[in-house]
Amino acid sequence: MPTTTASSLPLKAEDRKFERNSPPPTEDYREQLFELEAKGEIEIIRVPEPYIEVETKYGRKKKIPLEHTWHHKSCGQCGHIPGYSTAIFWLNRQFGFDYHDPRDQTSCTAWNYYASATSNPAAQAAVAVRNFAQAQIDGYFPVIHCGTSYGHYKEVRAELIYSAELRKQVRAVLARLGKKLVFPEEIVHYSEWVHVMRHEIKKRQTRDFSNLTITVHPACHYHKLVVEDAIYDKDLYNGQRTAIVSGLVKTIGSKLADYSTWHDCCGFGFRHILVSRDFSRSFATMRKIEVMIEEANPDLTLTHDTGCVTTLDQSQFAAKAHGKKVGIPVMSDAQYAALAMGAHPFKVCQLHWHNMEIRTILEKMGIDYDKAWSEFEHQVDRIKSGEIDYLSWEDADA
Amino acid sequence: MPDLPVMVIGGGPCGMEATRGISDLGYNVVLVDKAEFLGGNPIAGDYAALTPDMRNAEDAMNEMIEAITDNPLIEIRLNSSVVAAEGKAPDLSVTVKNGKGDEKIDVGSVIISTGFQHFDPGKETQIYGYYEYDDVITLVDVERMLKAGKFVRPSTGEKPKQVCFIQCVGSRDRQIGNQWCSKVCCGIATKEAIEIRDLVPDCKVFVFYIDMRMYGFWEDELYWKAQEEKQVNFIRGIVTEITLRGDGVVVKGEDTTMGRPMEIPMDVVILSIGMEPSKGSTEMAKLFDIPLESHGFIETIGGALNTVQTSAPGIFAAGASTGPADLEDSISMGGAAALKACAFIRKSQLQTA
Amino acid sequence: MSIYKDAKYMDVPFEEKQKLFDQVKGDMRWDHIFNGCYECGICVAACPSARFYDFSPRVFVQTLEREDIDTFYELMNDSVWDCSQCFSCTRCPRESNPGALITVMREVAVNNGLNSAKEALKAYSRIIYKIMSTGTQVAPDMLQPDAFPDWGPHVKEISDNLEYWRRALPPETLHTVELAWDVSVETRLELFMIWKLTGNLEMIENIDEGIFMILEEVMEELLEEHGYDLDDYENVIED
Repeated sequence: MPTTTASSLPLKAEDRKFERNSPPPTEDYREQLFELEAKGEIEIIRVPEPYIEVETKYGRKKKIPLEHTWHHKSCGQCGHIPGYSTAIFWLNRQFGFDYHDPRDQTSCTAWNYYASATSNPAAQAAVAVRNFAQAQIDGYFPVIHCGTSYGHYKEVRAELIYSAELRKQVRAVLARLGKKLVFPEEIVHYSEWVHVMRHEIKKRQTRDFSNLTITVHPACHYHKLVVEDAIYDKDLYNGQRTAIVSGLVKTIGSKLADYSTWHDCCGFGFRHILVSRDFSRSFATMRKIEVMIEEANPDLTLTHDTGCVTTLDQSQFAAKAHGKKVGIPVMSDAQYAALAMGAHPFKVCQLHWHNMEIRTILEKMGIDYDKAWSEFEHQVDRIKSGEIDYLSWEDADA
Repeated sequence: MPDLPVMVIGGGPCGMEATRGISDLGYNVVLVDKAEFLGGNPIAGDYAALTPDMRNAEDAMNEMIEAITDNPLIEIRLNSSVVAAEGKAPDLSVTVKNGKGDEKIDVGSVIISTGFQHFDPGKETQIYGYYEYDDVITLVDVERMLKAGKFVRPSTGEKPKQVCFIQCVGSRDRQIGNQWCSKVCCGIATKEAIEIRDLVPDCKVFVFYIDMRMYGFWEDELYWKAQEEKQVNFIRGIVTEITLRGDGVVVKGEDTTMGRPMEIPMDVVILSIGMEPSKGSTEMAKLFDIPLESHGFIETIGGALNTVQTSAPGIFAAGASTGPADLEDSISMGGAAALKACAFIRKSQLQTA
Repeated sequence: MSIYKDAKYMDVPFEEKQKLFDQVKGDMRWDHIFNGCYECGICVAACPSARFYDFSPRVFVQTLEREDIDTFYELMNDSVWDCSQCFSCTRCPRESNPGALITVMREVAVNNGLNSAKEALKAYSRIIYKIMSTGTQVAPDMLQPDAFPDWGPHVKEISDNLEYWRRALPPETLHTVELAWDVSVETRLELFMIWKLTGNLEMIENIDEGIFMILEEVMEELLEEHGYDLDDYENVIED
């Protein structure tokens, strides 16, 4: 901690430089996993090369694999905002990375668990491990698309580490499926991949986003639920907030705007978004969107999780109908990065699945909305006429 | 057996009192400090007034310094660090390093009074933004301003209208790994609150706390005084976030007495940072092969009946090197350690005689 | 005997309440999610649900710490379903985890078929069916205007164009309408076996018999088609 100044005034915040001078307050889960592996209790999937190492909350290093990734998809992304997942795959393809989009993956089922509690720790751990075991069989390293899957798997990891009984149960269940108890060395979120790739993304940037003001919502299950896996960067917020998404925005060159409720939840609520939506709507608009508009007036808000994109985007419609001052387009960091690299807003980023009006933001990005939409419609017409069955990656980029 | 000196490591209030005590008892003493001045944290941190008696801190420290200056029994070595120790008390050889090089000094006993260090708010797991916002400062920053006789909002240099203290920053916190109460922060914050109210009478002052630890006479002399005479607002409930709104910061917490959420704009937020074992204390423990107790301070083995005894005969530890301590604790322990160290040397001499 | 003059549910036998409390305290996670509480209010200040409901994570932890069985039972029946499960409350300086304690309390409420659980899950059962049978929580065909009237006309636009818009997605796994992505049948069956092997279906039977029957019927037919012997997949998790 800084000590003295020439005057009696405290140092300016920009001159205070935080250096962590004590060891992390938590035990290292990797060491614990490797210990269990050495005892023959569990098999650990290693992060494949090439990877990039980044610093996490307490200063430990985390390996983020660039390719050979097994894409653990998200229910809400694939189901309701499919441009989210498509953009992640598109980015991987642009870099020519080897990735796998599995059909032998299930949901982590944690949305249901946090919503209804109709499950138990053994079942939840077995679902996680079945997916990981499948990734190992397929020969890839799991990368998690959903923030809640990421959060839940971190919880499962902790439970498997401290409970021998749970390990025994999960082994018994998995054995009946002909699978083993395996776990990855790191739980990696796709937004961490985007974060470590941000400089490469910048190199391939074809659209200028410097005229955009952007607010960021970090996902609760990313940086609050088991905090220590989240990425922090000394050069961003002086290492005091997670660097995720914000780091991308700064690298791409948009204006990163602060707002006083950045740390609040989005209001998703798991069960609330499905069956008590008045809560989600009120919270998302009153605590997030309206505050962002009043304090930062952003062109766009970015987040990195399924529930947050859904809640922040969809909740604004009703508020708007009630004459509230809302109307910020919402998308994921992956869609924003893809757009920066020239991705098609509808064929790739599939922004027509989003709720808020996007014509203004697309035009600010230098995209001809009408032209882009007619290009998408043309592809839909080709599908309707039977000329093609599906939109191919080639046609998406044509 | 020659008349070997006691070495006192650390020249803060505790070490100075130990030094004075040893010389008063007629023994030789070498006082070593790595800083270029005596006085420890009160001087390094530019403390304004001491808690609880509001005495000018510099005057008080100068009085202690004077009491150990120009005394033939006392040798003071500043800008010096203890880097090695060989042998066992009373036949110890301690290596002291300064700008000129290493020097071995034979000593009969050692008192470690290396004190504490202030908690670094960058390690806080609440969202306090000390490294993000000019107007979020610490108890120590306030001392420096009070000493200069002006209390202003750092970002503008203007007089603040609304100020708060947040208690237990870096203390009583399992997430951070600091499970102790730092003892002094409640008293110091309340003292500073009174001083701010005196300096800037139209500034509203809040103290957000979990429990006000105002033991003994601090209760009416500080706490009641602040509340009854100075209209300081004591609110039970800790702030969890400090975020930026416009030009200023907003603090968020729950008023647990009223059971209502709070969101209050503040001109200045003061983090009541607690004590941690100082780097010097952990280094000395290692060097003299003394275990640390479970919180990371130097372990004493005598419990409540002997507060300065370590597991190594003839090596004593006192003050905040052994755990959170206020000034009264530190001075008392310094005196106790002086007595034990001299007694240790005397007993050794009697045995060999 | 409750310490409160205005305590509710005093007609419910104390032993019944104690049984539920013991189940919560007996959960394998208890020691890791429960420590004390010194009423700092940090969890409440961070909590989204506390801003809109008569709900306080602090009250949950205090009640559990005091082992106040009567108030615990009130919470089990009233506000346990208000939590957002965002885990903003994990900032507790004592490292208590109110959100996780609530997960456990909900699980106990479900396992015991409490009315509060049945009530909370009434409108939700179709989702349980979806996740347990398909392996994906939500699906494109759930975007129907009558299900999401507050999301505006774009939901209708999506549902009108659903089939073609799904086919206009480049990733091959996303051409589905009833599932979020194309989960292979083999994988769906493995998931269903996990539910059976971990006793989850028995729990569903307790809470919603209708959903349980449909699940059994649909999935068991699928299992038999694929040559599985159902008797091989009984609960392997001992209580």
